[in-house]
Amino acid sequence: MQTFLQYTILGLAIGGSYFIAASGLVVTYTTSGIFNFAQGAIAMLAVFTYWQFRWGWNWPAPLALLMVLGVLAPLLGAALYQVVMKNLRGTSEVTKIIVPIGVMLGFQALATWVWNPTSSTPRQFQKFFGPNAFVHFGSIKVSWHEIIAFVIAIAIAVGIRLLFVRTRSGVAMRAVVDDPELLQLNGGRPERLALISWAGGSFLAALAGILIQPMIGSAMSAGQLTLLVIDAFAAAMFGRLRSLPRTLAGALVIGLTTTYVIAYFPSKWTWSSSFRNSLPMIFLFIVLIVLPQDRLRGATVLRLRERFRMPSIRTAWIAGLVLMVVVFCLKVIMERTAVNTLTLALTFAIIALSLVLLTGFAGEINLAALSFGAIAVIVVYHFGTTGSGTAARTTLWGILLAAVVTALVGAVIALPALRLRGLYLALATMAFGVFVSRMVLTERNERDIFGLKFTIFTAGQLTIPKPKIGPFDFNSPDAFLFLCAGLFAIIGIGMVYLRHSGYGRRLAAMKDSPAASATLGMSVVRLKLSIFMMSAAIAGIGGVMMAAQIGTVNSDRFDILLSLSLMMITVVGGIGYISGALFAGIFLIAFVQMLDLTLKKFAVDYSSIEAIFLFFVSVVTVLPATIGITMGKNPSGAVSDIVAGLDQIKQSKPLVITLVGLEAAIWALAATDIITNWHFVILTMVNLFIVPVVGGKILLARAMRGVPKPVPPELIGIDRPFTFDDLAEMDRALDLEGVVVLSAETVREGATGVSA
Amino acid sequence: MSLLETVDVKVKFGGNVALNDVSISVEAGSVTGLIGPNGAGKTTLFNTITGLQPLTSGKIVFNGKDVTKEPPHKRTRMGLARTFQRLELFTSLSVRDNVRVAGEIRNRWSFRTTRMDVNAETDRVINLVGLADVADREVGEIPTGQARVVELARALMIQPTLLLLDEPASGQTEEETEQFGELLKDLARNDGLGICLVEHDMSLVMKVCETIHVLDFGTMISSGTADYVRNDPTVIDAYLGSPESVG
Repeated sequence: MQTFLQYTILGLAIGGSYFIAASGLVVTYTTSGIFNFAQGAIAMLAVFTYWQFRWGWNWPAPLALLMVLGVLAPLLGAALYQVVMKNLRGTSEVTKIIVPIGVMLGFQALATWVWNPTSSTPRQFQKFFGPNAFVHFGSIKVSWHEIIAFVIAIAIAVGIRLLFVRTRSGVAMRAVVDDPELLQLNGGRPERLALISWAGGSFLAALAGILIQPMIGSAMSAGQLTLLVIDAFAAAMFGRLRSLPRTLAGALVIGLTTTYVIAYFPSKWTWSSSFRNSLPMIFLFIVLIVLPQDRLRGATVLRLRERFRMPSIRTAWIAGLVLMVVVFCLKVIMERTAVNTLTLALTFAIIALSLVLLTGFAGEINLAALSFGAIAVIVVYHFGTTGSGTAARTTLWGILLAAVVTALVGAVIALPALRLRGLYLALATMAFGVFVSRMVLTERNERDIFGLKFTIFTAGQLTIPKPKIGPFDFNSPDAFLFLCAGLFAIIGIGMVYLRHSGYGRRLAAMKDSPAASATLGMSVVRLKLSIFMMSAAIAGIGGVMMAAQIGTVNSDRFDILLSLSLMMITVVGGIGYISGALFAGIFLIAFVQMLDLTLKKFAVDYSSIEAIFLFFVSVVTVLPATIGITMGKNPSGAVSDIVAGLDQIKQSKPLVITLVGLEAAIWALAATDIITNWHFVILTMVNLFIVPVVGGKILLARAMRGVPKPVPPELIGIDRPFTFDDLAEMDRALDLEGVVVLSAETVREGATGVSA
Repeated sequence: MSLLETVDVKVKFGGNVALNDVSISVEAGSVTGLIGPNGAGKTTLFNTITGLQPLTSGKIVFNGKDVTKEPPHKRTRMGLARTFQRLELFTSLSVRDNVRVAGEIRNRWSFRTTRMDVNAETDRVINLVGLADVADREVGEIPTGQARVVELARALMIQPTLLLLDEPASGQTEEETEQFGELLKDLARNDGLGICLVEHDMSLVMKVCETIHVLDFGTMISSGTADYVRNDPTVIDAYLGSPESVG
């Protein structure tokens, strides 16, 4: 009984903290329509800042609290809204998901930069009034901290409820999401309300973080804290991101069950701690599955404006060949380590292809691509290798088996996808990813599964040898490089074929308008199931290649945060394009690493200004996230812009010749060791970026000569009559597609028709 | 027996009654008009018929079968097609592929014996509705008026017995509307389709519809032939406030 009470109180306190974080999510989502994936990251930043004030600089607790909760957190929330989130109104759902994720990853990198995780002195974070402040109720003792956590949670629940129901601004807040324009017409100010709610939401996240950190009793870790508050997502989903009482109930259920697992599971169950950690994710998944079904809607994850042009099959083959040639040329001049980096980048590009297939082609979302990779790697490790020591090889059958298993797991993940769309689906896949990280990849003990003695993730790391397929041994780095490049090209070309088939068109139909597809008689079950399975299999194969390239992988290689980064950068590169996947792999692995190495090399070479270079090394860690955050501006991705620029250039032979010629010359210099790899990279970039820009300007200037100036819009109808193209153009510019446009004649006729 | 009947269909959004016991019928081989001021509930009624909007009460009978509980795609497979007022085109596909994919979807669910040659049928329908000139353009690039015709072509590809058209003529030129009216009459008379037309262009409605139902604030206020409805004082009142205000 005593244990029960003790753990119940702890459970209520932890559940209360979850509720505080979740209520912040509900408040920001209700007023801005944006789900704040960065909620956990804000909490994490607050914890570290509070630690800095309280124990780093020995400020008194009230002052540190006032500073963090009263000043910094609300400011951060308000700034986030003002600078980033405000611009997301009216963008696609995928952008609304990716941008907050970018913020989250950015904060994560920032915290690691400021508070070095490998610092020698461990950071202690204590409960309020110290670790020994207890109250005794009969035989049980309860720390003041836990009481405070629970009482604050209840106070906040009541407070927000009163705010929403009783006060004018609360009612207005609820109106914002229903119809911001209508609210504005009625004199409300949705922007200001959203700003306030983001400040409030950030405050709540910070409060939850500071309350929860000492209760979990482990060392402060940026990654762990960020994900910890993800557990609050489950609570928020209990209330469907609307109802606070249900959110509170959900949070308490999660808090209590997780503590009871620790209290009552037999200690010989070595998996109970992993189970406790993944319980919120299991809740989240279940809640999402049993949520009432969304109504079919027109607008989807990718909106009208984000149109992707699919290359012809011929173009795809040419592009594949070019890729192989380029990879060969690079291999010739590059050092061993650089070749390895390039190979790794290509394996990530293969994983990113699974995202292009799923999101770009079918409009579905998966935030846990690498978790599928992890499953495939486990399969290959256990069933897919032959030989031992240096003679060990991954077999073709092993890879195929891994693809089949991941496809089947993909089918399970597709279950919620059959009912959910957009944000809800994103959360379901993320729950799956975190579940894999916490439950599967922590399985280091031998288990007896159906009579099969088995350790899933042996000793925390798995060794995957290079593959040997038939007579072809891909053990040498060069051979493996070509295997990965070839695999990417083949899957990419296959996807273009797919997109041009009836199946691909049906996918596009499902993506563009679920409502119209349904009224054409389409049943999405098999389509969704098959696309999820295909995408999962590709991610699995990519994962195996990635592990084979690295050699020995630990669970960090499949971290959910890495999956999120990959998704984000693929969206930046252009989620509808094969090239977008290539961009993602190259950027995330090769480019970031190259910048990192270059800067570190400079720091050594020019040691007098070392600090500056080291500063930029840290900047590079934040770079991917920063690029993700800017996505709101260019929804079709960066690559499409570059390609669109190149399209112009393709028209001009001289320019193409200049470009290719210069590049060949630079390559020749590097191949003959006249210039180093560093110079090669820098010169190549100059060539690829400067020549098109300058050349494009010249071309444009030449093309403009002799072309009549277009009629300025305000003079259409005066200088020349309106055409239907003009009207359509106006419709598009004003985003009025589908709005009734009655010409003057029809209105008049209609009126006389009725009254006659 | 009518091809389609809605029986006392009621839809509530919270406290708002969007449709209040609306009963209409559509006959095979004829064009039925459904008119009413903006917000009268016309599109909501279409959504209930196609299954995109659940009913609060009432039932939908199609081909003599109660389909109230059937999901949208099952109703389509029984021969029900529609177009959307807010365009729901497949924007990543060209005009031709928009039409073609509808045929491909149909071939997936139709019986083996009734499968169509999708390419031939696509060409036929594109020529029938007059989209040949823009067939290879991106669907987002063509004017709204033509985009609505793409919606019609797409709906025709599933070879429906009942066609629901939601403001198909808005954004069309007068000439296009003229041709469009003829096309609708043809489809009804020659192919035996039942067509239900929501339209604000009264001259078109009066010209092609044998029967007209009038909705106002979710309630059916009048129903009958074009001549009857045109002279019904309730209709004139609902539409124009009062006849004098037109001048």
